[in-house]
Amino acid sequence: MKNKALIIGGFHKARSLAASLIKKDYRVTVINSDYQSCLILAETEALSVIHGDGTKPFVLEDANAQDMDIAIALTQRDDDNLVICELCKKKYNIKKTVALVNDPKKTDFFYQMGIDSVVCAVNAITNIIEQQAFLDGIASLIPIGEGRISIAEVPIPGTAPVVGKKIWEIDLPKEVIIGCILRGEGSMIPRGDTRILAGDMLVLISSDKQELTAIKELTGRGGL
Amino acid sequence: MKLFGRKEKADYIVIIGCGRLGGSLANALSDEGQDVLIIDNNKESFRKLSSSYGGLTLIGDASDIDVLREAQVEKATAVVVVTNNDNSNIMISQMAKEIFKKELVIARLYDPERDYVYREFGIDTISPAILSSNAIRGLLNSHEKEAAV
Repeated sequence: MKNKALIIGGFHKARSLAASLIKKDYRVTVINSDYQSCLILAETEALSVIHGDGTKPFVLEDANAQDMDIAIALTQRDDDNLVICELCKKKYNIKKTVALVNDPKKTDFFYQMGIDSVVCAVNAITNIIEQQAFLDGIASLIPIGEGRISIAEVPIPGTAPVVGKKIWEIDLPKEVIIGCILRGEGSMIPRGDTRILAGDMLVLISSDKQELTAIKELTGRGGL
Repeated sequence: MKLFGRKEKADYIVIIGCGRLGGSLANALSDEGQDVLIIDNNKESFRKLSSSYGGLTLIGDASDIDVLREAQVEKATAVVVVTNNDNSNIMISQMAKEIFKKELVIARLYDPERDYVYREFGIDTISPAILSSNAIRGLLNSHEKEAAV
């Protein structure tokens, strides 16, 4: 049986998310309160479109909310998204609910109200811009756990101040550890007495947004 | 909290939304001698308050946790949420209930269908449609009785 997903609100986001879920063999239904948007959404193949206010129970019933496996609320308003997810969770017993939230301060509150996954668009976008703008020294950075933890790959150039130092000699923030060193073809799990060499690729795991400080400490650049 | 020193222990009531209902409620409570603070995101809304209104006003978006903190919701005896948007009312009430641990939260709800979400969280709701229909039924009944006599 196909997994069923319900997407409420959001036009561009809903359209591209629906297309990608359909590709992954989901049965997708979208609800949109704007009739013109509905017409355009309906052009997508295999997508069911319902016109109405997704915060109203009878509209969710029209969309067969009770049969859904996942509900994703993408409207512009935080309060609408909260109400949608709460209705989906409590009234229609949908197992997984995802809400978009604009105000980063509300993220914890949304989790507290029982929403399974809260995505803060503003946070995600500002984080990406920050990385792009200031961290050209990083090959890649992967945020996990809502961006609270990140894994970064940091190449060590010959000019870096840490070249030749042992790890316990480096003044790293305590929220950061060097999880792995990629050297040549091999990789090693470092210990306190491991020496860092030019050309190493360090894999950093950090919390509390300390990766910037750590990278600056390691490479001597990357900050402002 | 002693705002004006009128009474030893006045109730501190936070009203969110200064529309017709919020405004008239604020006037009435202020006349009774209660400490009132009313929040609205539009300064013009406060013109609905009478000249004798002795409470506080705060301009801001009450769905922002910082604005609620600034209003000292944690010290309030009651929170009344009467903005013109049902979903905003639901969210703000839940924030008052869950983040500020308020016992007494009253919210106005135009659409009684969404009552479900409120009841689960122990928020008291007022629905104009239901109140009006009850009042009209009452009037109709009393009229019929008069006619029967």
